[in-house]
Amino acid sequence: MNDRNIIALSRRGFLGTALGGIAALATQPSWAASKTLNVLSHKVHQTVLGADGGDLLADWKASNDADVFWTTFDSNPLQDRLFREASLGSTDYSVGYMIDNRPTSEIAALFEPLDDYLASDPIEDFQDIAPGLVDGMTVDGKLIGIPVRHATQGLFYNEELLQEAGIDAPPTTLEELVEQARKLTFTSSAGTPVVGMVLASDLAVFPVMFARAFGGDFITGDFQLMPDKDAMVKGLTVLREMFEAGALPRSYATTRNDDQVTWLQQGRAAFTVLPFARNAQLNNPEQSKYPGKIKAVEFPISAELKGKMPMSSIVEAWAMVIPKNAADKDLAWNFIKEVSSKRATLGMALNGNGPVRVSTYAEPDLVAKNPLAEVEAAVLANARGAFPPFPEAARAQGIMLEEVQLAVLGRKPVAEAVDAIVERVTPLMPA
Amino acid sequence: MRSRSIIGIAPLLAPVHVLILSVIVLPSLYVVWLSLNESSFGQAPTFVGLQNYIDVITDPAFRSALWNTVVLVVVAVHIELALGLGMALLFAGGLPFRRFLLVAVLAPYAVSEVIAVVMWRFLFDPDVGPVTLMLQSMGLPILDWSFEPSHAMILIALLTIWLHLPFTFIILYAARLAIPSDLYEAARIDGATAWQAFKRVTLPLLGPAIVVALLFRYIFAFRLFSEVWLLTQGGPARSTEVVAVYLYQEAFSYNAFGTAAATAWIMVLASLLLGAGYVFILRRQVSANANA
Amino acid sequence: MRTRNLLAAIGKTVAVVAMLFWSLFPIVFIVMSSLKPGQDIFAVPPRYVFEPTFEHYVSLWQQWGAFFDGLLNSTIITAGATVIAIAGSTFAGYVYSRNSSRMLDASVLFLIVVRLIPPIVVTLPLFPIVNVLGLNDTHAIMMVLYATFFVSLGTVLMRTFIDQIPRELDEAAEIDGAGRLTVLRRVIVPLAAPGILAVAVFVVVFAWNEYLFAFIFTSTRAKTAPLVISEMIGSIDGVDWGILFAASTVQLAPVLLFVVFMNRYLVAGLTAGATKG
Repeated sequence: MNDRNIIALSRRGFLGTALGGIAALATQPSWAASKTLNVLSHKVHQTVLGADGGDLLADWKASNDADVFWTTFDSNPLQDRLFREASLGSTDYSVGYMIDNRPTSEIAALFEPLDDYLASDPIEDFQDIAPGLVDGMTVDGKLIGIPVRHATQGLFYNEELLQEAGIDAPPTTLEELVEQARKLTFTSSAGTPVVGMVLASDLAVFPVMFARAFGGDFITGDFQLMPDKDAMVKGLTVLREMFEAGALPRSYATTRNDDQVTWLQQGRAAFTVLPFARNAQLNNPEQSKYPGKIKAVEFPISAELKGKMPMSSIVEAWAMVIPKNAADKDLAWNFIKEVSSKRATLGMALNGNGPVRVSTYAEPDLVAKNPLAEVEAAVLANARGAFPPFPEAARAQGIMLEEVQLAVLGRKPVAEAVDAIVERVTPLMPA
Repeated sequence: MRSRSIIGIAPLLAPVHVLILSVIVLPSLYVVWLSLNESSFGQAPTFVGLQNYIDVITDPAFRSALWNTVVLVVVAVHIELALGLGMALLFAGGLPFRRFLLVAVLAPYAVSEVIAVVMWRFLFDPDVGPVTLMLQSMGLPILDWSFEPSHAMILIALLTIWLHLPFTFIILYAARLAIPSDLYEAARIDGATAWQAFKRVTLPLLGPAIVVALLFRYIFAFRLFSEVWLLTQGGPARSTEVVAVYLYQEAFSYNAFGTAAATAWIMVLASLLLGAGYVFILRRQVSANANA
Repeated sequence: MRTRNLLAAIGKTVAVVAMLFWSLFPIVFIVMSSLKPGQDIFAVPPRYVFEPTFEHYVSLWQQWGAFFDGLLNSTIITAGATVIAIAGSTFAGYVYSRNSSRMLDASVLFLIVVRLIPPIVVTLPLFPIVNVLGLNDTHAIMMVLYATFFVSLGTVLMRTFIDQIPRELDEAAEIDGAGRLTVLRRVIVPLAAPGILAVAVFVVVFAWNEYLFAFIFTSTRAKTAPLVISEMIGSIDGVDWGILFAASTVQLAPVLLFVVFMNRYLVAGLTAGATKG
């Protein structure tokens, strides 16, 4: 190679870089506000505030001369990042979003107690925010987070596919659900191979729901590990049998939360379990092949318990927290106050957020826009978290999911897997 | 003269060594300290001696991760070697559009792991993946990677090979080009067949390059993380977990910094062990060059 | 004999086609899919003939401003890391090439050993240190990190390339009264340009594509493009594959073109890097 060649090459490379740089510079937004609030959250928390177009925070930003800068991660990396930021000398993040099964005493100590803020500069009608959710964010007698979103799980189904298979009503017992899911494992008139049900395998929510349909649980609020082992065995047996019959996708072990959404939108699955708030997205005509045809009901309890006890579905809640080492706590509290207001709660609910205020469910706008509001409110009345926070909760969930996958895929008998969960999780339980 | 030259060279050496010391060496030593303590978020470290190492080594999940790593490294690296060698010989045998083909073969080198996973995950999607559909239409068995751990390992291996074949290929190709053509001429005059020429000339002279390529790839494949993490997250049921994923889980999912640090040092030691072989060969080469 | 030649030719053609398919199909497929209209991406069987559309690129532009900020950050960080790595490697490579002592030999060995340490190892302890220094989420720290993981290789590479420059040239310059820096600037840098470009290819590809460090050490101001793409994958709103493919294409195109144009230097660098340490 000769020297001229090299120069020509590098000049071309330089030109390309420079052009790219200019193009990228042109996209830089210009910052006008004098203050910036850094928020660490999941993408969904930003989306429900209506970042594109109808921004629910527009007035707040103007009156506080502040801009909000969002950093978003998927749930688990988000929690890790939040705790890591909070354990440093100082952090740029003044507001973080935390899931309700994470605040142990150790974790809670990293965040600002909010009781004083609440007393001196109260949130509008604070009593209106569901007390159960507030309790979940009260650790060692201190309120460390203000609830902002709840996700109550419901059973979604594709009405058109059900009708194609000659089913005119969604299931009212778990047994009916299994039977319908088997029937719906077929090739639809659109020529798409359909599986009865799609569930993610990396979240404890789903196996726990099946155990609860038989009156069981994984870890209760008062830290009892699997109070009713039989119920767990029954629940997992149902999952195992569905998998064997092809009514769960063969890719069960790698199915993730967002796969559930696409599979339902594409008509590749007839049933799934997702938060009610997902209704709008599942029926979004731009993404879904079945807009308006995807409906939801309460996840059904088993026939043996029907009418004897209510189904206790799973609810997961998010709260806004302020790290103790945050830069601008007053601005953070101001932001939290605004997001918790009745107006913002309704606005977010209309954008697909699970509202934390009881009164929001009665708002005519929401009732008109969200046909599921009533069902959801009823399910929420009996719902509780998948498991309570404790230091080794993440590891306990990991072990449980590992054994559940082994059982569902048929690599281990169900009873053996359940025994293994008990044996391996027991040493992790808080004393 | 001598002291002046040290004063003269020190500022030129400083940037590199300051960077390496402060970013790699000192933090690595801090990891040693971390590995001897138990700590988590909001929890002050307590000294536990070698307990973390014992915990890691006796953890069945770690052993299975180690086993998976070894299997993947051995399988993927040797297939890479065979393919890379075949391609090097194909190129050396003369090809039309050689420059274009060379660039095409190098292309995967430019691809980020994140994007490679997006590609391969979609191509082999059990339901809509184009490769899956092609295999099905030809009546061939598909790669059932989301269900069969062994198939998942195959996909991970394929992805790894795809990303790193350019490296192995280039090393071997360059070494092959360095073999003087008169050696082949002489072999031809002696009446050697192509196979004999390969066995007697190519293989022995490529030997050092092959060993270097192997060791390099062993060391780098041992770090394998993104491919596994983004493809299977180590599932189903942790059956495809590798050591780096195990480390990630301990550190970032379970926030157990002590065991994570212990795992990190086990990785460093294993890499150094593999590297010792490489350095040994290199030094022998250097001294051979010096004597020549 | 004739049939044998024919067979050999056929075999060679098949091998070349297989090689091309293997290397390029995944790349071509992702680029093609980024141009497919919405639901065609999932069409069973896949469509290979379709009317190309830029709708996913438009959506990417409208919905993912963060991605373009990420591209800008990636560009700045990649440029900075490359400059640092090249400067450091050239200085040190020059010293190692022109001087020899037991200490220096030992420190070359040290550079090689450092390359063996897996980068994931240092992520855990570096995070608090970087934060104490106030460098978290800055372009500077990313440049330093990326450069550091390539200066050891870069130094060894530069030594190899500078070794090929006759010493008489720098001696002649020194007789003319040039100092070390002048020799570097006037003699070494121009003549070792292929080596510098080889180092540049390595650093550019690494810094542009890297994920793990970016994930740990950046959050808002210095977030790189691969990180934004991973956020797209992880977004709970359900994956929009079209936008994902479009973003992947945009991220991939510049570095792919770069490697295509610089392939000679990549080959030279890989070869020298592996065989010379």
